Amino acid sequence: MSLLSDLFAGRLLDPGYAEAAARRAAAGDSAPRRSRFGGGGVLLVLVLVGVLVFVAGAEVRRSEPVAAAQRSRLVDEIHARTGETDDLQRRLDRLRAETERERAAALARSADGRHARESLAEASAAAAAAPVSGAGFVVTLDDASGADGDDRHDQDPADGRIYDQDLQILVNGLWAAGATAIAVNGQRLTATTAIRTAGEAILVDYRPLGGPYEVTAAGDPDRVRDAYRDSAADRRLRLLKERYRIRYDTRRDDRVSLPAAAALQLRYAHPQGEEPGATGGGHRDGGQGGQGAGSRGNGRGGHE
Amino acid sequence: MIALIGLVIGVTLGFVLEPTVPLWLQPYLPIAIVAALDAMFGGVRARLEGVFDEKVFVVSFVSNTIIAALIVFLGDQLGVGSQLSTGVVVVLGIRIFSNAAAIRRKLFGA
Repeated sequence: MSLLSDLFAGRLLDPGYAEAAARRAAAGDSAPRRSRFGGGGVLLVLVLVGVLVFVAGAEVRRSEPVAAAQRSRLVDEIHARTGETDDLQRRLDRLRAETERERAAALARSADGRHARESLAEASAAAAAAPVSGAGFVVTLDDASGADGDDRHDQDPADGRIYDQDLQILVNGLWAAGATAIAVNGQRLTATTAIRTAGEAILVDYRPLGGPYEVTAAGDPDRVRDAYRDSAADRRLRLLKERYRIRYDTRRDDRVSLPAAAALQLRYAHPQGEEPGATGGGHRDGGQGGQGAGSRGNGRGGHE
Repeated sequence: MIALIGLVIGVTLGFVLEPTVPLWLQPYLPIAIVAALDAMFGGVRARLEGVFDEKVFVVSFVSNTIIAALIVFLGDQLGVGSQLSTGVVVVLGIRIFSNAAAIRRKLFGA
């Protein structure tokens, strides 16, 4: 290790200068030569060093705050947009309530209007366009507690999991039992709401939900319970509970409140003076909702 | 004197031109700077000991920076880039410290 031994001996670490001095001594001139570059070399090298040091420093300074500033800018933007959305949602709710009130007032003036209001209320209840509250029947489903494979090694952990089919069958069973409105974990179901599996999450109305799944059915709790008990859906879920130990509880609740469903898209009706199909969202929604609509249609027919 | 003027000019140039370092060169810049610092301290020490030689200085600067960058480049290709740059920094750091110690002894006699 010549580096370390040189270091400890306190010798010149760069022998180049010593050798050059020795060569000069041998050649006979004692003073170091400066003629070849005339000092220009030193100047050039130091200019280079200055540029290098500055550039490196600037590079480090530049890269750090840029990333931090970008992140904080994005965070601010997210907060601002979320606030905007909340404001718009509040405004929408306010306007909707106002429209509702005005319409009710306008319709209350004549017998025809009162009649129209009644059928409108019926239609909006069927279309899940208005919030519902009152007594109801609540069914809770959840994955088996050993679904992660702790206590039942002989079975696939996926066996104890709730699938979209189970929820679909339960919801159809509740419709058939006479429920007037249904929500899954606070997501109101309409006639076209899809319940599907995507990956490991269950999507209701394209929003991912996690367990436990609480299915709330509004309607006369005793009638719904009597009609639901021993129905096909009940039998199937009880079987799943026995075999795979999923969680399956039913209870009645005197005060349930279901929100209105997300804004409905008109699919075939369109405001006067507008080209049919001008609302682009309707087609997309129709295509995706078809699956759910089909599976829901039977249950719907059963109670109407 | 020339050295100080050169440094000032260099920093000013960097400030005015604000050259952007190409991405492929960025990993080698810090190591090249450490090597350049080593050459500078060696030159100052030689000046104080009265054996300064411009040719040796220029050549040692150029070769130091290029070899340091080359070693890191080679290490990157072999997958030991960070270890090799640590090694280069250690070796150059030892040299810089011992040169700085020699300069201090010459200047302050301590």
